[in-house]
Amino acid sequence: MTRSRQAGDGPGLSRRRMLTGAAVLLGGAFAAPALSGCTQAAASGVTNLSYWHLLSGGDGITMAKLVADVEKALGDVTVDQTVLAWGAPYYTKLAMAAAGGRAPDIAIMHASRVTGWAPGGLLDPWDLDLLAEFGVSEDTFKPRIWEKGFTDDKLYSVALDSHPFITFFNTDVADEAGVLNSDGTLIETSTPDAFIEMALEMQAVTGQHGLSWGYLNDGAQLWRLFYTLYKQHGADMVLETGKPAEFDEDAAIESLEFMTKLVDGTVAATNSDINNGIAEFAGGKSGMLFSGVWELRTLQDAGIAFDATTIPTLYGTPAVYADSHTFVLPHQSNPDETKRRAAYEFMSTLLKDSIEWAGAGHIPAYLPVIDDPAYGDLVPQAHYADAADLINYDPPAWFTGSGSNFQNYFLDAIQGVMLGGTTPEAGFASFIGRINTLLSKPNPVTV
Amino acid sequence: MKALRSNKPRENLTGWAFIAPLGILFILFMLVPILWGIYLSFTNQSLTGAGGDLIGFDNYAEALADPDMWRSMLNTVWFTVLSTIPLVVVALALALLVNTGLPGQWLWRLSFFMPYLLASTVVSLIWVWLYNPQLGLFNAILGWFGIDPVTWLQDPDLAMLSVVVTTVWWTIGFNFLLYLAALQNIPETQYEAASIDGAGRWRTLASITIPQLGPTTIMVVVLQLLASLKVFDQIYQMTGGGPAGTTRSAIQYIFETGFTGFRFGYSSAISYIFFVLIIIVSVIQFRITARRSA
Repeated sequence: MTRSRQAGDGPGLSRRRMLTGAAVLLGGAFAAPALSGCTQAAASGVTNLSYWHLLSGGDGITMAKLVADVEKALGDVTVDQTVLAWGAPYYTKLAMAAAGGRAPDIAIMHASRVTGWAPGGLLDPWDLDLLAEFGVSEDTFKPRIWEKGFTDDKLYSVALDSHPFITFFNTDVADEAGVLNSDGTLIETSTPDAFIEMALEMQAVTGQHGLSWGYLNDGAQLWRLFYTLYKQHGADMVLETGKPAEFDEDAAIESLEFMTKLVDGTVAATNSDINNGIAEFAGGKSGMLFSGVWELRTLQDAGIAFDATTIPTLYGTPAVYADSHTFVLPHQSNPDETKRRAAYEFMSTLLKDSIEWAGAGHIPAYLPVIDDPAYGDLVPQAHYADAADLINYDPPAWFTGSGSNFQNYFLDAIQGVMLGGTTPEAGFASFIGRINTLLSKPNPVTV
Repeated sequence: MKALRSNKPRENLTGWAFIAPLGILFILFMLVPILWGIYLSFTNQSLTGAGGDLIGFDNYAEALADPDMWRSMLNTVWFTVLSTIPLVVVALALALLVNTGLPGQWLWRLSFFMPYLLASTVVSLIWVWLYNPQLGLFNAILGWFGIDPVTWLQDPDLAMLSVVVTTVWWTIGFNFLLYLAALQNIPETQYEAASIDGAGRWRTLASITIPQLGPTTIMVVVLQLLASLKVFDQIYQMTGGGPAGTTRSAIQYIFETGFTGFRFGYSSAISYIFFVLIIIVSVIQFRITARRSA
């Protein structure tokens, strides 16, 4: 009898815990505030913050160093980092943690994803007064970047950086091809044909390709180039729940046609994924690479002579695709005031220290860092810093943004166009069809 | 009889204690989620915690009219058909070959079974490289014969087939081992009797080996069908469901609508439609095998 009671008690206890765990998994159908035990060692005066982010590889190493520096500088704040894989794994877990009310004290999100999350109560807004106390305010950011943090007049995210899609170019190849100005910058090309001509000059030097751009099985890469070109037409894309998508079809088709011209096998490879693209450029087999600034470290390690610049303006309006890593306060049911304050302090100290982050290629968002002569000395970073004035985030909607389904839908519809099986018109129409289906449904973040 | 009855309450208790761990786990991790999922499928519950209102059969109506859902179901059935046949037939052929007494038995068994021990991520990584249009081994081989590079995972006509080839390479070892064990259980005396009666090699195969493997074949087919219907990992990692949704499996669509698309209620409805599909396949399978074994 005793035995059976023990057998009953054990699982009973764990059942309660399992149920709570299941509740968190099930999207916080039940709130579980009782479990958010206070782990900070109050007696010693040290506040321990939990910090989630999705920065791995070189970015992850840089962030770990930054966090260690901030901990050292502050003395009374320790930070536990949780690093999750980029894209769906990170965003689903962060959403579930926030929905359950037991989120980390501070987290990194892409600015483009915040738009979808903020109205759903997954994020807590930043307090502008408290931010100002720590030296973070509107005048310390470029307007585009600062404003992106707002939803419904509340600031939900504070940017650490902006990371645009840019052009890397091999200075040796460019020099030999005669496409460099006397100051070492790439000659200006302002039409699609002029750009292709320049790429072909470089192709003549490398004997392989003029440009490297990998897009196979990679919706993000496809979208980044497309959206850059599309926005250069001065075109907009408005995605509002309950209404069909508003877009400029001519601009879209023209952009796609140009992209297919690039991947003709001569200007750029027809069947290239991002790894092929980077390997090709790093191996000196092409003159240019279209990719994100985050590739900088990899290219520096490759030991080639290269520089970087923004993507040339081919359709009249200067524009580049970009996103920002931003700091957010995931929703907590019972935030601890000491921890909240420590989160502000941690974040602001990290921002002020973000010259280190610029080393990884990202453009710091905190203006005093950019204005510091130390940043001007960083080459090629300083050569594309102007991109911060031209950046365009994904069109706001609950399903858009970095690592979202949106980019996968773009891949689904457009890869066939790049490979020549589908016309740009049909490919883009299929993409818009998919988006319109999503727009016709209620927004699940706020239902 | 009397002695038994007097022991009954105590025995009952012991019995319950023994099944309690499994029973509780079953209730917690099977029954409760199943019932909870059915309930969710009638709501507009969001992963973000929003929603949760009962909306009747709306999700089911929407799912049945959703071309993407049907496509993912058809893709799954297509994958199952394409993969199950070689995973049964080739496994049997390999087992027969190895069972003929080739030298170096351990090497054959090891090489056919080893891939099965690898994690899906490792398998996917290896094969994505093999299939790489620029740097992959397969296109390099084609290149020796002057054949243009093939986009194995990006061509809508080839992608599913490429994933199936990977899956066969990866998982065939399990069926192969089952067949090999079954082959070694066929009594030698039957073969002796057949050879005395003058039966040739094919006659022996058709009249003794294959019929004796009947129960194993039924088991292999059932396990294989269920495993193939549940496909997700390698497809998600190799093609992400592309190109143009031609390899998107039912499980992936459930994952996309529920976890990255936040629509938990809708995603639950699709799960239950998929559940019904699996039940139908299982019933058909059961009917066929029951008739055969009767």
